[in-house]
Amino acid sequence: MSVDCSNNIQPTTRPHADVPAGVFVVVPAYNEAPAIGAVLHELRAVYPNVVVVDDGSTDGTAEVARIAATYVLRHPINCGQGAALQTGIDFALLQGAEFIVTFDADGQHRVEDVAVLLSPILCGECDFTLGSRFLGTCVGIPPLRRKMLRLGVLFTRLVNGVNLTDAHNGFRAFSRRAAQRINLRLDRMAHATELIDQIRLSGLPFKEVPVQIRYTPYSLRKGQSTRGAIRIALHYLLGRVLL
Amino acid sequence: MNLFQILAIAIVTGLLALSLVATVRGWATRREGLVWAFVWLCTGVAIARPDLTVLVAGAMGIGRGADLVLYCAVIVMLIGFFMVYARLRRLRRDLTLLSRHLAIRDASPTPPPTNPPCPAAKQIDEKHYPQRP
Repeated sequence: MSVDCSNNIQPTTRPHADVPAGVFVVVPAYNEAPAIGAVLHELRAVYPNVVVVDDGSTDGTAEVARIAATYVLRHPINCGQGAALQTGIDFALLQGAEFIVTFDADGQHRVEDVAVLLSPILCGECDFTLGSRFLGTCVGIPPLRRKMLRLGVLFTRLVNGVNLTDAHNGFRAFSRRAAQRINLRLDRMAHATELIDQIRLSGLPFKEVPVQIRYTPYSLRKGQSTRGAIRIALHYLLGRVLL
Repeated sequence: MNLFQILAIAIVTGLLALSLVATVRGWATRREGLVWAFVWLCTGVAIARPDLTVLVAGAMGIGRGADLVLYCAVIVMLIGFFMVYARLRRLRRDLTLLSRHLAIRDASPTPPPTNPPCPAAKQIDEKHYPQRP
């Protein structure tokens, strides 16, 4: 990838040769067999190092992933998305990753946007980039989901003291030194808020980058319900008190 | 002594004996065993001589002995809940770390080792698996 440090980075799916060495894409997956195959094929067409962390799926996600992913890691039991992300990050660092991108397995992220997310880090502008669907565009977001995510943003502003436009987007990128400062201990979904804490505490610069989210019937079904979101907030606050 | 006291004291005595036996035989740590023995002893005394709890309650400014027992039970139970919850979280944490270790160890396909193998492992490899690069 030739690094363009002007401010008009275009989404791209240029093939292998252009990708800087040491980019690892980490895909946590739990029971995503119907969707993950297509996602991995798209990713592998551009990025040579794709790490799937199968979080104890029972639907053969790992078998599907083995066809397309570079590396497949498997939690013997379901530990939660935060744990899967951390496993993927640890593994990528062990393999000498210089840049780590986290990407959802359900097809809601676009491969083109990985380059957009990486470019500020490649330019040395910052160490963390966070995908934001509200800076970018989102296709087919239901009104209730939009309101929930807005609440999530407010929650992050109150609890973490960080002003973001989209606090709960799994599409993120880290430089190596940034990834080394990440240690997610809240296994389940509350890790999104915990991660923002750790970014803030690391003192390293971060930036939100517009990305496009594709809401499909599949990804909506797999996403968070409103009740789930409340549980996540409670889990985070409890974890903060007890850990 | 009424029927309830006789039955309850029989049960509590059995439990007291059990915790002492457990301590002696090493099924429980000494501290655990002694704490439980102490709990059963107090329970037994409170059942056999309710008037004693009234004395203690009076000294603490609580009217009735039954109230004292109730307050103590609630406090102990809350502490117990909290300790079990904290332990569950630690257990969950350990399980995650173990899962992570196994996942990275058994990654497929096996990534090339990042560090050169230790001399002993190299010797074993050369001796037993000469065809391996």
